[in-house]
Amino acid sequence: MTRIGTVALNTFREAVRDRVLYNLVFFALVMMASAILVGQISIDIEQIVIVSLGLSAISIMGLLISVFIGVGLVSKEIDKRTLYALLAKPLRRWEFILGKFAGLALTLTVNTAAMAAGLFLALFYVKHSIERADTAVLVAVYFILLKLALVVALAMLFSCFTTPLLAILFTAGLYIAGLFVHEMRALQGGLIDPAFRRLLQWISYLLPNFENFDVMGAAAHGRAIPGALIAQNTVYAALYCAIVLAVAAAIFSQRNLK
Amino acid sequence: MSAKGHIALLLFVLLGFAGVWRLQQRIDVQQRLVESEDDQVMLRSSKLVKSLSLEYAPLMADIYWTRVVQYFGNKHSGKQVDLRLLWPLLDVTSVLDPHLMPVYHMGSMFLSDAAPRGAGRPDLAVELLERGLKANPEEWRLYYDLGYVYYFDMKDYPKASAAFYEGSKNPRALLWMKTLAAKIAAEGGSTETSNFLWQDVYNTANDPLVKENALKHLQLLRAQEDCKQIDAAADEYQKRFGRRPVRMSELVQSGLLRGEPVDALGYPYVLSEDGKAETNPQSPLKEKQFTAAPGK
Repeated sequence: MTRIGTVALNTFREAVRDRVLYNLVFFALVMMASAILVGQISIDIEQIVIVSLGLSAISIMGLLISVFIGVGLVSKEIDKRTLYALLAKPLRRWEFILGKFAGLALTLTVNTAAMAAGLFLALFYVKHSIERADTAVLVAVYFILLKLALVVALAMLFSCFTTPLLAILFTAGLYIAGLFVHEMRALQGGLIDPAFRRLLQWISYLLPNFENFDVMGAAAHGRAIPGALIAQNTVYAALYCAIVLAVAAAIFSQRNLK
Repeated sequence: MSAKGHIALLLFVLLGFAGVWRLQQRIDVQQRLVESEDDQVMLRSSKLVKSLSLEYAPLMADIYWTRVVQYFGNKHSGKQVDLRLLWPLLDVTSVLDPHLMPVYHMGSMFLSDAAPRGAGRPDLAVELLERGLKANPEEWRLYYDLGYVYYFDMKDYPKASAAFYEGSKNPRALLWMKTLAAKIAAEGGSTETSNFLWQDVYNTANDPLVKENALKHLQLLRAQEDCKQIDAAADEYQKRFGRRPVRMSELVQSGLLRGEPVDALGYPYVLSEDGKAETNPQSPLKEKQFTAAPGK
């Protein structure tokens, strides 16, 4: 556990050194500009615009970090040959994978928390108050974080057995497919072959369902998000990450690094 | 990794996915509580969507068209009559790709058909088809679709005749277009013309929804025609016996009908209290019966 913690902490430090958190400056500028602009050009929907824009920015920036840095977590260590020095120490390969995952998850948590604080500041600027209904925004931010953890796990899985470019493409492809899970299930039986429809339904349950984490609309309109959904999504993300990381660790353990 | 390790991993993955499956079903229930019940078309401005699509407008049109079909199909199978978003979706699709023919051909049918089969907006169907003709003047089939909307949904027979005639000027148009234009101009709406048009739709349609719709219309036209003939026999019965028949069997026994007539789905026709023939209340055709005039 200590060894995983050490790898995680070093991964976080490396991300900070690589100026990953500089995106926060960009986010802050976007939020400040939009808060001022929205107050002047929109009528009655200032809160909706600020929340939608803020959550979208958190999600997009988080996704970029998750995919690009997530893919590089393993491949960079191999390319720079720093992995050999690490594995020469009493560190198992699965511990390395878990440590790297935890490190990037920590980076994303800090990044997302800072952006959420910025979003609430902008919201306060527009509304001049923060209400109880705004907790839905916090839940939406939490769901984005769960989504990002899942994306990092997938990016690491692909980077364990293929090139960084292909890993990025696979992760992005799976992410996009995971956004159309409900569409896959809702396809009309009369329009497509029933066997193909059944196959699509099977696949739709096995694909990582990123639509589960999309409560942006509810958060923007201040609608309450059920506690059961928060618990279920947490378990879903944890379980899916565990499966993906287990497979990633197994593949990485078998990989010939010579 | 040892064999035991592989088996343990496989078991973990299988059990994990089984857990994901079960969990997903519970999440679906909760998500329904959170999601808005209303359908949404976020971007209704066709010009804006086209600008945002960059050079990928045709691809976006294909995606929008798929959404139209899914939207209409879902509403249709759920017997929902609220098709408010049909026009915005078709509007955006036709601007994104003005040469996508199914948008005009099927879209006009979806729009013009009366509820619950369609949106009941023949005026928008005409607008869509006129837009299609402007972008594709060589497509004689669009004139056919336009004539069809004027004929069936607007009962505007002069305009229907004009549309068929305009389409017949195209050298590639089928010969009967001109005949049809003349026939409608002379007779207005008739069962024979309606039957011909629906039969053509049924024969040429590739989409199951359109084919099914045409079949329903053909079955109803047949029922309409059958009822006319039964009524004629009932009139003859009244002349002979001085009263209207109460049961269909009386017409058979008097020799005016060869046997008890049945509709296209096999349900026997019945006589109403005033002795007029109508479809059996248990027949699915009864539900589909139109309120409109000839051919509808």
